[in-house]
Amino acid sequence: MKNSMWNLKLSTSALVLIPAAVGINYIGKLFAGLLKLPLWLDSIGTVLSAMLAGPVVGAICGAINNIIYGLTMDPISFIYALTSIGIGLAVGVLAQKGRVNSIGGAVVVGLVAAVVSTLISTPINIGFWGGQTGNVWGDLVYAGMVAHHFPVWIASLTDEFIVDVPDKIATVIVAYGIYKGLPQKLTILFRHDSVTEQL
Amino acid sequence: MKALSLYQDRGTVVHRVDSRSKLLYILSAILIPAVLPGFMPGLAMLALSILILATGKVFGKVLPLVGFSLLILASIVLIQGLFYSGNKQLLFSLWRFGFYREGLLFSGGICLRVMNILCAVSILVLTTRPSDLIESLVRLGLSPHLGYVLSSVLQIIPQMTATMETITDAQRSRGMETEGTLLVRMKAFLPLIGPVVMNSLVSTRERSLALEVRAFSARSKKTFLNPPQGGTANTVIPLVLLLAMAAAIVWRVMQ
Repeated sequence: MKNSMWNLKLSTSALVLIPAAVGINYIGKLFAGLLKLPLWLDSIGTVLSAMLAGPVVGAICGAINNIIYGLTMDPISFIYALTSIGIGLAVGVLAQKGRVNSIGGAVVVGLVAAVVSTLISTPINIGFWGGQTGNVWGDLVYAGMVAHHFPVWIASLTDEFIVDVPDKIATVIVAYGIYKGLPQKLTILFRHDSVTEQL
Repeated sequence: MKALSLYQDRGTVVHRVDSRSKLLYILSAILIPAVLPGFMPGLAMLALSILILATGKVFGKVLPLVGFSLLILASIVLIQGLFYSGNKQLLFSLWRFGFYREGLLFSGGICLRVMNILCAVSILVLTTRPSDLIESLVRLGLSPHLGYVLSSVLQIIPQMTATMETITDAQRSRGMETEGTLLVRMKAFLPLIGPVVMNSLVSTRERSLALEVRAFSARSKKTFLNPPQGGTANTVIPLVLLLAMAAAIVWRVMQ
């Protein structure tokens, strides 16, 4: 199948989308910090690129995003590349299946992204940080649950999940809002189902 | 052009070692303490990393990187010291809270591991020019297209940060509120990020045309601008590191 969404051969426009998407991730995080929002919003670019160009580009964006973060700010984020790859894949598949077509659809996709992100991050959190996430609210829940003798993995799963759900839903909604506003001459560059017309 | 990087140009011996050796060093700094039991291997590895950082005259630059993780490490010591499930032996009490030996040891292990990885990665990040690192990754077999993507990210982020400042000023001058209640600040997010994102996506179209015109996707073999770094040090260091890792694994299996 030549135009499958799993096509690993990347076009030049898809390759050029990746740096822009990583930049958007970075800007999202900066703006969230500037406006003192209680969310990270640091994967808008990954989600947007997955919506535009499919799961493969989404996954590569996620991986490169964390590699660049690791090289320039926080070496620990290398390991969380796995989480970003998962988010890119999940959103890409759902978007190519046409699930992101309304705000409601965006909320559902955000929820799926949060579940994927939690499932991948929790083992890393447990192995690396003893189960915490570094987010104040999540860690308070974690401390409370560990103090009441819940198993570490349940406490850690909850810690990550309650932080991820609002963050990923907001991320997908923002990405969807931007995606809707893009001109068609731009979105057509990255689509997989485009058919060449013969004269 | 200004690029995003932590690289410090000090021109020491550490700077002249090629990035392949430094990548292998990171691998051994993670693997050796993980394979060998107890705190000693981790502490020894950490001391070695600090020594290398000091030789490279970049030790002062590690502290902000460590500061990034310090808060979460402190909270881990606190939470595990108080609530770790294996807690039995009370070590000391502060006010109404008791800190336990098992939890503190457990969190100490986590801290040591994190510091170890941070310092080892810092050696690479602080003493290697990002373009050199990317070039040696391409030499090791990374696709040159992905090499382009990586170095392009490092240049695009400062550009986008500059656009972001312009947009923030423009929206503020139109009277948009960026401070106040949570709702006000949430409403400000989309008008701020929207134009930056549109700008950068529209310019991707032009950039891909420009690249195509310069035969970006040509299939011929790409050549390198700089000759590969040679020298005995760059063959001896990887060899020593590989031997050390193998020795640690063999020792562990024999036990």
